[in-house]
Parts: sequence; C-alpha cells; structure tokens
Amino acid sequence: MSAPLASLLPLAQGDDFIQERTGTGCVQENGFFCAEWAFDNFDRYVTPLVEHLVLVSASVVAGLAIALGLAVMSHRRRWLVPPLTGLTGVLYTIPSLAFFIVLLPITGFGRTTAIIALTAYTLQIIYRNIVAGLDNVPAASKDAGRGMGMTDRQLLWRVELPLALPEIIAGLRIATVSTVAIATLAVFAGAGGLGDPLYADLTFRTNVLLAGGLAILMAIAFDALLVVAGRVASPWRKVRPV
Amino acid sequence: MDAPAAKGDVGEALSVEFRSATKRYPGSTQPAIDELSVDVPAGEICVFVGPSGSGKTTAMRMVNRMVEITGGDILVGERSVRDRGPAELRRETGYVIQQIGLFPHRTIADNIAIVPKLLGWERERIDARVAELLRVIGLDEEIARRFPAQLSGGQQQRAGVARALAANPGVMLMDEPFGAVDPINRERLQNEFLRLQAELRKTILFVTHDIDEAIKMGDRIAILREGGRLAQYASPAELLMAPADGFVEDFVGADRALKRLSLMRVADISLWEAPLAFAGQATAEVRAKLDGAEVPHALLVDGERRPLGWLSEGDLEQPTVPQRPHTSPDPVLELDDVMRDALSDLLQAETRYAPVVDARRTIAGVLSVEIISEFLTSDEALVEEHPAAERPLAETEEAG
Repeated sequence: MSAPLASLLPLAQGDDFIQERTGTGCVQENGFFCAEWAFDNFDRYVTPLVEHLVLVSASVVAGLAIALGLAVMSHRRRWLVPPLTGLTGVLYTIPSLAFFIVLLPITGFGRTTAIIALTAYTLQIIYRNIVAGLDNVPAASKDAGRGMGMTDRQLLWRVELPLALPEIIAGLRIATVSTVAIATLAVFAGAGGLGDPLYADLTFRTNVLLAGGLAILMAIAFDALLVVAGRVASPWRKVRPV
Repeated sequence: MDAPAAKGDVGEALSVEFRSATKRYPGSTQPAIDELSVDVPAGEICVFVGPSGSGKTTAMRMVNRMVEITGGDILVGERSVRDRGPAELRRETGYVIQQIGLFPHRTIADNIAIVPKLLGWERERIDARVAELLRVIGLDEEIARRFPAQLSGGQQQRAGVARALAANPGVMLMDEPFGAVDPINRERLQNEFLRLQAELRKTILFVTHDIDEAIKMGDRIAILREGGRLAQYASPAELLMAPADGFVEDFVGADRALKRLSLMRVADISLWEAPLAFAGQATAEVRAKLDGAEVPHALLVDGERRPLGWLSEGDLEQPTVPQRPHTSPDPVLELDDVMRDALSDLLQAETRYAPVVDARRTIAGVLSVEIISEFLTSDEALVEEHPAAERPLAETEEAG
C-alpha cells in the first residue's frame, strides 16, 4: 500500500468489524458467506449504500450537465472538439487516489472532493458520446429543419439532441457503471460509500461479498434504469419498419 | 383547400423573380450561379433542370436563403429576400428535399405540424390543419400517429409534401422530390402532385436532373448548364420545338419530337373524318362516301355511332352493309389519350388508322400515323401549349 493510502486508511471508520469476529462458527472460521451475520449486520451497510447512491447520482448528473455544455459549445465550433476530447481524456487518466490528494488542500476532506473527482472521470465518456450522437444525426433532418425555418437553438433542442439520445444514453450507461466501481475509493477522500465497510476489513469474506455485491447490484440497477429511460424517451426506435 | 386566413397564414401564391442572381463561393474563380435571371409568375411550376454541376439546387436554395446570394437579387412576392430574416422567410416557403428529411423521432402528425408550431399557431388550429392535409394528400388519419420508419417511400414522400404545405406557403421549393421513389410510384406521385397543384395553384420551383420529369411537371423550364449559366428558359413545347443551342438540343435529347407527343392529347390534333357505315345501309352510299375520303376504309358503327369494326372490299360488294364487320375496330383511342400513347397503340397494332371516340364512346374521328408525322413537322406544336396543371389526368384515376 502506498504511503498516502496508508495515511488515509485510519480515517475510514471500520475497526469494529474485526473486533466483532470473535464469535463462533461461520464468522470465526471466516466462511465463504455467513448469511446469519450478514442478516444481523445488514443495517451497517445501509448508510454506506445511500452515500454511494448519492455519490454516483451526483457525479453522473454533474458530468452530464458539464459534458452537454461542452458538446453544445463545440457543436458549432468544430475546432474545439480535439482540445476538449484531449482535456477530458487527461482527466480520465489521473489515478483516483492522486486526484483526491491533489484536491484535498482545495476542497478539503469529504463528499465534495469525491464528487469533483468522480465527475471528472465521467466527462470523457459522456462528452465523446454526445459529440458522436450529434455527428450521426442525418444530414437530411438537419437540412429539412433549417429549411423550414428552425433557428440553430431550435434545431439543436428539437431535432439534433433527441436524435442523438441513443448515443447519449449509451455513454451514460458506461459512465454510470464505471462510476459505481470507482466510487468505492471515495472513502479515501472521506466521502463514505460502500468503500467504507469494504476497506474496513478486506480479510472478512462475508463483508467483501456483501459490500462488493451491493455495488454490483447498484450498477445493474442503474444500467437497467437507463435502458428503460432510453426506451421511453425514444419510442421511434422500437417501431418495426413496414 | 381553404385554410382559414389568420395570423401567420401566408396563403396567396407569390411570384419569384431572379434578377442577375449570382453565387460565388469564396476561393473559387468560377461562380456557382452566374447572373441568373428568371421570372416565375405566381401559381406556376418552374423546373430547374440541368446536368450535375449546373447549380440547379443552389439556384433553388438561394430563394429561401439556404444559400446566400453574393450578387444580384431575388424577389419573392416583389420583396427582396435580402431584406427578410432567414428563419421568417423559410417558414413562409415550403421546402421538400429528395431525402424527404422527415424527422424520424416525430410522428407524421408532429412532422406536418412543425412549421405551424414554429409560427405559434394554436393547438386546435394545428390539429385541424394536419387532418385537412392528410385528407388532401390521401393519407389515412391512422398514419398520422406513426413514425416515418413505418411508412412506405411513397407515403413518406406524400407526408413530406404535406409538411411543406402545412402553413400554406406562397412559394414551394422542391429538390428532386420524387427522386428516391421507384419509377412506378414516381409516375403516380407526379400525377397526384399535378392534380393537387391544379387546385392549390402554388408557385413552385422544382429541381430535377430528368428532362422527362421537367417536361411533364413544368409550366416553364429553366435549363442550366455548367457554371450556373442559364441556357434557355421556355415552356416545354417551346423548348422541344426550338432549342436555343446545341447544348439544349443535346440535353433535351434526340427524341424531342416524340417528347412533344407526350405533351398533347389526341383531342389537341385535327382528326380525319371516318367514312361511317350502318348495318343494312346500301353499300353504294358507303362507296360514294369513300370516294376521295382521307380514310380508304369504311367504319361500321351501331345506332349510337359507336365503332363496331372496319368493313372490307368484299363487304362493300354486297348490296347492303352486313351486321358484322370484317375486322375489329381495335385499337379504339380516346380523345383524352396522351398522343405518345396513341402512337404507340397504332404502331403496336400494326395498323395505320384507329377510330377515336369521345367519353360516351361515340366516334369522333380517325387518327392515322400520317396525321402525327405531319403534325411533328408543322409549327402547330408551338401553338398547342398546355400548362401542366390544366392538363386533365384521366389516366391516373387508379392512383392513390
């Protein structure tokens, strides 16, 4: 473990897990999954679960808002696309723990730091997908829209963005699922989440399975929600051509 | 079609006047459109036709400022397009493109409602207008709730025309509107559109690369050549009779004589009189009629003067005209037939004469190959001119 990580670790409030492994049977033997213990201690995971949910939702919503702004800005100024793709790409490559440490002196210890970093990670995927979606809008639809007297803004909101929606949703799905995974590290920024119980006792199998399993279920739930939202928002894609 | 006159309604057809309109793209030495001057009277179809690179689409797009003119002027309803806001001008100008450009994410009804919505019409008025247009273009109300991908190519094209007509524009711009449709449906759509135009009387600028389509659709045709220069601006008949130069002659094609025939009906030409014979009539009377007649055969008709068949020499050697003719009267042509089809029928039946009947099937005269060839070498074609929208389109009744 690196030095900064070690210095952050004690801040995760988790020592009590270890102390409670003094019972008998499954827990003491550290069995593959102790259902009874999991059932009795599930309430320990509720707060981290809610924190995780908030971290992911806030980061993806903020990421969508910023990426949409960037994409709209570069839509009519094509020369902005390469630098913006590069910038979001650089953000994407920063290791998350390093990102937290860089932000600590500015935004302090807590949720804000985690959300800023997580948001930065979503930008690359969402931005690229919006740009690709806007590029794939049929030229005939754009020409017809302009020819009927739509302004640039009307064309963007009434034609281009709705038609780019499938690509935008696809980007949101990838960004959300990966944010669920990365958000387990938010505990090192002091923002809680499922990383809190997870890193509190990495040796206790039941704990790892429970915390990790909840993260996986959350990712699946978010993904399903976005798929359904995408279908509802783009009914024209379901239609069967005659 | 009477749309209620209200705010945002344009209505009346407007004239379009190109005054030395020029388009020069930056960095290019040759203009794309070179001092184009064309005057399109209100309510007429003007077809821009020419080879690729002749700028016909560019010329059309200058009218609604999709392409900005760099010299000269274009007046729509006697107002310069330079003085109009592009969005406002475009909302008052119908626009149909080859790829149709229906919005795939909107239902047909919503697609048709786009310009009325942009103009801020009220919901009820938009709904009424959409329903009216669906009826006018012959699409089911049920289709209104479908998405474009659920429609056939022909239905999509009709919806595209309905969308362009939605706010009752004074001018319609149509860029190869039937280009993406198969030949059979294209012909049907063309005929439907001409019938619609006969009612609506819009001013239409129509772009095509197909001279046959231009001749069929146009009241006037502007032939453009490379570099956006006008080669000739004339009515279809004039163009076929008197091409301005070698370029136009080549473009119109070697078969321009035949093309002229597709512009006319049998009724437009002077027919020969048929020597008629009635069953039981004395053959001497019939033989007297044949003497010096243009048609050397007698035509047996019934009491209503409907043709039954041709009589032979042998038939006329009897004392009276027999009940049954020697040969069938086929092909029997109608006054309403397009001349080109009539000639085709004559040639196909390997006959020189065909009886022509009116709507009640009564004999109106005889058409012969000689009449047609004489007509083609005369100047009559110049006089016989039929604006596309006035032509009856009886042969397209099955369309729809």
